[in-house]
Amino acid sequence: MITFKLNGKTVQGEEGQYILQVAEKAGVEIPTLCHHKALEPAGMCRICTVELFDGRRTRFVTACNYPIWEGMEVKTDTEAVHAGRKLIVEMLLARCPEVPLLQNLAKEYGIGTPRFKLENDTCILCGLCTRMCEKMGNSAISLTGRGVEMKVDTPFHLQTDVCMACGACASVCPTGHITLEKIREVISRRGSRLIPSEYDMGLKGRKPVYVPYAQAVPNTPAIDRDVCVHFKTGGCQVCTSFCGVDAIDHTMEDEIVELDVGSIILAPGFEPFDPSKFDSYNYAKHPNVITSMEMERILSASGPTGGHLVRLSDHKEPKKIAWFQCVGSRDLNRCDNAYCSSVCCMYAIKEAVIAKEHAPYDLDCAIFFMDMRTHGKDFERFYDNAKAKGVRFIRSRVHTIDPVPGSDDLSIRYITEKGETVTEMFDQIVLSIGLQTDPEVVAMANRLGIELTPGNFCKTDTFMPVETSRKGIYVCGAFQGPKDIPQSVVDASAAASAAGEILAEARNTLTKIPEIIPETNVIGERPRIGVFVCRCGINIAGVVNVPEVRDYAGTLPYVEYISDNLYSCAQDTQETMTQIIKQKKLNRVVVAACTPKTHEPLFQETLINAGLNKYLFEMCNIRNHDSWVHKNNPDLATQKAKDLVRMAVSKVALMQPLPEAELNVNQTALVIGGGISGMTAAKSLANQGYETHLIEAGDRLGGNARRIFKTVAGDLVKDKLAELVQHIEGDDRIKIHLNTRLTSVEGFVGSFKSTLTAGDSIEELEYGVAVVATGGTALKPEEYSYGQDPRILTSLELDEKFMADDPGLKKINSAVFIQCVGSRQPDRPYCSRVCCTHSIDNALELKKRNPDTDVFILYRDIRTYGEREYLYKEAREAGVIFIRHDRDNKPQLRIEDDRIRITVTDHVLQRPMEITADLVTLASAILPNKDESLAQFFKVPLNDDNFFVEKHAKLGPSEFATDGVFLCGLAHYPKPIDEAIAQGRASASRAITLLAKKTINTSGTVAETEPAICSSCGVCVSICPYSAPSFIAADARMHAGKAQINPVLCKGCGLCVASCRSGAIRLKGFDNDQIFAQIFAMTEAV
Amino acid sequence: MELMGIEPDRLHFSWISSAESTKFVKVVKEVTEKVKAIGPNNHFIKDTAKVA
Amino acid sequence: MSDWEPKIVSFLCNWCSYGAADLAGVSRMEYPANIRVIRIPCTGRMSPKFALAALREGADAVWVSG
Repeated sequence: MITFKLNGKTVQGEEGQYILQVAEKAGVEIPTLCHHKALEPAGMCRICTVELFDGRRTRFVTACNYPIWEGMEVKTDTEAVHAGRKLIVEMLLARCPEVPLLQNLAKEYGIGTPRFKLENDTCILCGLCTRMCEKMGNSAISLTGRGVEMKVDTPFHLQTDVCMACGACASVCPTGHITLEKIREVISRRGSRLIPSEYDMGLKGRKPVYVPYAQAVPNTPAIDRDVCVHFKTGGCQVCTSFCGVDAIDHTMEDEIVELDVGSIILAPGFEPFDPSKFDSYNYAKHPNVITSMEMERILSASGPTGGHLVRLSDHKEPKKIAWFQCVGSRDLNRCDNAYCSSVCCMYAIKEAVIAKEHAPYDLDCAIFFMDMRTHGKDFERFYDNAKAKGVRFIRSRVHTIDPVPGSDDLSIRYITEKGETVTEMFDQIVLSIGLQTDPEVVAMANRLGIELTPGNFCKTDTFMPVETSRKGIYVCGAFQGPKDIPQSVVDASAAASAAGEILAEARNTLTKIPEIIPETNVIGERPRIGVFVCRCGINIAGVVNVPEVRDYAGTLPYVEYISDNLYSCAQDTQETMTQIIKQKKLNRVVVAACTPKTHEPLFQETLINAGLNKYLFEMCNIRNHDSWVHKNNPDLATQKAKDLVRMAVSKVALMQPLPEAELNVNQTALVIGGGISGMTAAKSLANQGYETHLIEAGDRLGGNARRIFKTVAGDLVKDKLAELVQHIEGDDRIKIHLNTRLTSVEGFVGSFKSTLTAGDSIEELEYGVAVVATGGTALKPEEYSYGQDPRILTSLELDEKFMADDPGLKKINSAVFIQCVGSRQPDRPYCSRVCCTHSIDNALELKKRNPDTDVFILYRDIRTYGEREYLYKEAREAGVIFIRHDRDNKPQLRIEDDRIRITVTDHVLQRPMEITADLVTLASAILPNKDESLAQFFKVPLNDDNFFVEKHAKLGPSEFATDGVFLCGLAHYPKPIDEAIAQGRASASRAITLLAKKTINTSGTVAETEPAICSSCGVCVSICPYSAPSFIAADARMHAGKAQINPVLCKGCGLCVASCRSGAIRLKGFDNDQIFAQIFAMTEAV
Repeated sequence: MELMGIEPDRLHFSWISSAESTKFVKVVKEVTEKVKAIGPNNHFIKDTAKVA
Repeated sequence: MSDWEPKIVSFLCNWCSYGAADLAGVSRMEYPANIRVIRIPCTGRMSPKFALAALREGADAVWVSG
């Protein structure tokens, strides 16, 4: 250890270190131009000159390469040092007057125009580039010439093969003398290009050392061995000099790890279809033809354009954008993907709507499609809204995209529904590419010995939707079939449940208990508040002036730390916050970001990790309540953000740490509804070892499945259903209650108590979780003369005829199916999802029984999503005639002389045609079994269509926002058997996440009485909807007769607090002084 | 309220479900308009504020 | 007077109106920037004292929404 004096202070450094290194550690700033941490110092620029007193005299040395020695005295800030640096800057500026870096330095040193002759160079001969090139193990460039002739050059001033165009020289050049263009044009013969970022779909470059995307798990950087210079030359390793914890090891090799597992879940996902092979779309050649995945990135705030809607050729805002549907889907001519990719219609509409939102002008969005498939929950509404917002929907498949010569625009020709040919120009065209299975996944499936479908998806059975053909291996997500997020999430939970069922005995045998971070006691401490302001990409920062709000927060009382984050919820930010809270010893935290309703738990987790009680926290909502709703008024929005931050700070200062109560979870489950999904949920729960009560209002199990003839795969539903019922009845962990209704619900997650009423008999049941599977029913149509003629049936009634093997079905000359009866209309604006497939399947069944029967399907859009599309193709090939109509131009049915005549306007012929039918099948809508009492019992919501509203449309499809209550089947939304079964299992899976914990923590924000003030009036006891307050027993030793509040039952609503006449109740976390603080802080600005 | 010299329009109550964002916006607009119509609140501000 | 903007203190129920306000944001609706939200667990928590305090402190109006 060497000790010396730096600016009069004693500092220490290691033998062999240079002054600069020690100064940096000691926090003394010395300017540098030619220094780089990873390179040997060269002392080229001399701007780091410092004053050195060696005991006898004073000299000037360069700090970057002067080794330290015992007893030396260094001064970095003297007048002489400054004068020297000023002269250097002046000379460099004279040499390179246009370099911004030097211009800024000159400004700093107060230099106007240099006294020396101005030259027109940009290179300051710092030698960073040549030293870096050497470090790369390459030496393609060096300093050539001597004296004034000296310059950076390649050997013989020729473009060289030696240069790998790695760009290291350009990355260190401080003046911009070496650029990527220069490397491409002057230095290298190999041509330089960016490493395409996979996350940004190649629209942006990335480094060889990179984190795939901000939310990646694990969130640690990786080195891309294919492009890292070290793996080419053995040189570089610059990254190692920057890593503070020596985490980088270039010698690591791939290793094979063997794991002993009881089951495997495959979730390899899909790859987006590559449209390059379609020459006629010019995707590979024209920058303004992009894929939908690229469009997603362009619309994203964290994307390559920062969320600004621009086209790629000239970065101008497009005025007209077109989407082409079914690119790489439903296409056997130009690719092999005959299936429908299920998700593209919806994402195209979403992109169009978001693009219109992003554009501050009237953007024209047109979607070219074949059938609009918005069969998901609330999707049809979104489609209707998009139409209302002016998105154009054009039913036409466009063959060719032509570049318009002399511009970056694109021209297309298409045929309208009326048969007219139209030529239209667009600024940008988005190809809605389909989903397909990666060839590597196909290879993996082959290795595992798993059967695939014709579309290369994992083969599964309708009644076992997540089981692969190999026992113990399960599948979820788009590998099981093209599907959207909610369905993938349902599958994922179902697969987890399937794996859990076979591994139920092994549960908790490998559990490791996480380290519990001890809570710091902050009681009595002066508040030290940290304020973190989130930019949320551009969602907040695009409107609110975030730095201003952040700095403003710094002026507020007790605020000790301020910062702003790009995405506060990103995992790396969370870790940084944890560190900051510890380092700065913060004891209160405010996050100004989005809504506490979704993100409070996340940040509270961060507090817990930092050893703080999670209630020492307040969020203020400057996104949902501010930037998003005042986007045209940035000044007011910024002012509002400041007010909200001030209110939050004043409240959080008064927050106290709150304890949480622990509660046992009753290990019994209740399933309401004995249809397919309810039975599946019960079976899953029982298979995982939980006692389950299955209640059914009817007199037998099976629900709607009893009336369905066969599955798409051709299995008879009756047989499979019988197997399932038999299993349920034979499992003694499942108690079946038929003809039974739930007539009361008390309690809360983990300890519910209900009355089951079956006729006159009443039974009490205690349970920990409940699954709602109340199902749905087929609409009884009120149109098309339904009920007036035995030849006019609903789809289920036709199924019943098939099941009875009605001989009359073979004698039909002409059968007509009418689709969307009661669905997709103003009073019921949702798609019933299953009817297209069902009708087509039944049409084929009729054809099978009598190939001479003329079968017509009158439809609006055929929605045979996924691999159901094959059925549609098969039906067309079998001669089923499809005739499309609009909602405004429905088929007309009349009965004349005992003949059923149907008139429909054919979309190809554009004229009305009449069909005489012997059989009419109405594809009637699926209605939920509306159950308002259940909704009230469990405090769960119903939507406008009377389906239950799940916790989260995408991420929580099988559970309610109410803790401990879960959802599956038709009560959630219309769905076919395989999806109902998957969701049944998913709801069980979600329920088991609670049951398996055995105990849960309740909230700390509960009410508390102060018995000394309580007047025992009883208002709180009678007013509480959750029965939390009660009187302390009259014979109690302390506070007899006063009110007390059970923290487990208390939901923290505060009703008792407001109604307490004596002021004896306080609500922790929302105490009077805390709310008053907010009020006072709010009005402070008036 | 009126007894204390506060215009009744300064205190508003409403009931909006979490799904009724349109209603929320409507009510915000109405309340703001009504309050704008009656002007600033200066009857009941505490003395210190008046001095300031 | 023309540029005077009222300050309105709003007490929003966490489960109802606060959610509606969130959703209004998600739907990118626009509304006047005069309200300042105080989140309360339920309108049951609301006390007349809060309203009076806000008015006394100089707020131009109070809006309570459940």
